[in-house]
Amino acid sequence: MSDVGAGPAVPVLREPAHRVSPRAIGFWTVSALLGDAAVVVAALVAWLVVPDVPGWAGLVVLLLGLLAAAHVVLMPRIRYRVHRWEVTDTAVHTRAGWLGRESRIAPLSRVQTVDSRQGALMRVFGLASITVTTASAAGPITVDCLDAATAREVVARLTAITSATAGDAT
Amino acid sequence: MIPAPGEGWARLDPRKLLLDPVKAIGQAIVPVVVAVVGISRSDTRFWPLVLPLVVLGPIILGALPWLTTHYRITDSQIQVRSGVLNKRTSTAPLDRVRSVDLEASLLHRVLGLQKVQVGTGVDDDRITLDALARADAHALRTTLLRRRETTDVRPTDLDPAEPHAPVAPSAPASVLLARIDWSWLRFAPFSLARLVLLAGAVGVVAQFGDDLPIWNQETATSAWEWVTQFALVAVALALAVGGLALWLVVSVTGYVVQWWGFRLVREHGSLHLSSGLFTTRSITVEEAKVRGVEMVEPVLLRVVGGAEMSTLATGVEDGVTQVLPPCPREVAVGVGGAVLGETGALTAPLVAHGPRAHRRAWFRQLRTALEVLVAAAVAWWFADLSWAWFAALAVALPVVAAAVGEASYRHLGHALLDRHLVAGGGTLARVRTVLETDGIIGWVVSQSWWQRRIGLADLTATTAAGTERVLVRDVRLEVAVALADRATPGMLTPFVEQGA
Repeated sequence: MSDVGAGPAVPVLREPAHRVSPRAIGFWTVSALLGDAAVVVAALVAWLVVPDVPGWAGLVVLLLGLLAAAHVVLMPRIRYRVHRWEVTDTAVHTRAGWLGRESRIAPLSRVQTVDSRQGALMRVFGLASITVTTASAAGPITVDCLDAATAREVVARLTAITSATAGDAT
Repeated sequence: MIPAPGEGWARLDPRKLLLDPVKAIGQAIVPVVVAVVGISRSDTRFWPLVLPLVVLGPIILGALPWLTTHYRITDSQIQVRSGVLNKRTSTAPLDRVRSVDLEASLLHRVLGLQKVQVGTGVDDDRITLDALARADAHALRTTLLRRRETTDVRPTDLDPAEPHAPVAPSAPASVLLARIDWSWLRFAPFSLARLVLLAGAVGVVAQFGDDLPIWNQETATSAWEWVTQFALVAVALALAVGGLALWLVVSVTGYVVQWWGFRLVREHGSLHLSSGLFTTRSITVEEAKVRGVEMVEPVLLRVVGGAEMSTLATGVEDGVTQVLPPCPREVAVGVGGAVLGETGALTAPLVAHGPRAHRRAWFRQLRTALEVLVAAAVAWWFADLSWAWFAALAVALPVVAAAVGEASYRHLGHALLDRHLVAGGGTLARVRTVLETDGIIGWVVSQSWWQRRIGLADLTATTAAGTERVLVRDVRLEVAVALADRATPGMLTPFVEQGA
């Protein structure tokens, strides 16, 4: 590329150490299926019920169905490969996304609250999410779909570390 | 007199006894008149009953707050006690006092009073003393701010390297950073913030527009058609000139009313702003809480060399405080440099984001233009509009989009100084955000699918100050990581590898 490099040694953000629970694939598949099925069925019903639809409308519905199927099959698998997390003694680092990527880093000295959340469907899969917030509205870090037991350990550890830090974290 | 520390409870100023009845009468005048008229019509027997009520009501209502509100300053706290039936005591530790704002409405000013609001920066709950004599209010502010200065022992807040940090406790009384210069009035018409007001007024006028004969269809189609056609042009011209004149008057008046007597002063470790022709505002922001500044040059204002300046602070309800009126760019740069304690942050050249970011800036605007065009095409398809409009739109939109894209790329950039991160952005307005690197409490590196194709990323520094984020848009991924790593040494270290 024509751009000038930043120097001989280019710092690269390495990926966080841990993957989320493998059961997350199942969870993401089911939630995507529920969401997509609603849209596809609605489109299908509209296509069947509305009289005198033009010929290409059927193609649109078919395309929608194919896209939904691809989404349900591919998205959870790509997500599982992208989603990663790591908590060191000083900071928390996550990576998320499937088409896009988002890496978040916050030092534990600036963490204000540690929440965990488990929806009904997540409970079926034995998963839980952790959200770490800082004093910035732009800074919350969420680790989605951890194994429920792991999530409990991580919350306990984070709480222990952050409560030991003084200051008002701003 | 304000109470000295340790003394007993003090009352608000006795002139409060006048303030509240006048206010109460002002608010209650309509219902009272209605009631009096109604009663006087029906029966005159109630007069001896009603009259004392009407006269005494406001007086009692006005006297109650004065009788029941007390405040005092102890060695460590300011306490305010109020309420008739529900007694309420608000306290704030003196070393937590972050801001002391003074405000005076026209009525306050006639009576020589001022409303004092003490902010602790913890939440939105502020202690309000309405009202004190002007001299007492100022004395209270000085006492509270100076006290905080001497009790503030946190070493991080007293950075000896900071050349502008006042040295407690023998701080210089006050340093004037800026005051109103009426030649700045030339910027008023170029600042469009007040345009909303004018748009409202135009809307009202348009209501009556229907009644004007020139819009009458019959007149237009009559034999006098060519005359009215000519008249339409004249009317359009007159409207344009009239609108411009109206805008001049509204914008200049607004500027004068808002910024009359504007002064920005640094004292007791705080920035202190006061201004206003009718209602005087007095805002105090603690400098230790100011994490950066934002300079905005809206497109019109930039043409005439003007700029606006805000501070980004933590622990204030609204973290962004405008501290300068629209003024010459050099003034904004000077004041910004003084506030930051690092000159050059607002003038330093920015690192450009390269040709790929350039393409993306164009692409982003062209995509928006395309979306509008598609919407227009659909509208044209259904609404059966004329070809000419659509064609004109199809030519004009991409040109405008390209111009806006080019402008937004020119504004794009970043820089890292000794203690500050600088981000350039904005599409039409040029925005330069400067954030103290100590105020950065986390990083977000995000890439959309499009950005991943070309190796760009959006880098967001999260902070508790201002709008709580500073965005460096469309920067190369490796530059983003290097920038974050250098801005906050150590924060990224566990997660960074030195690549080839």
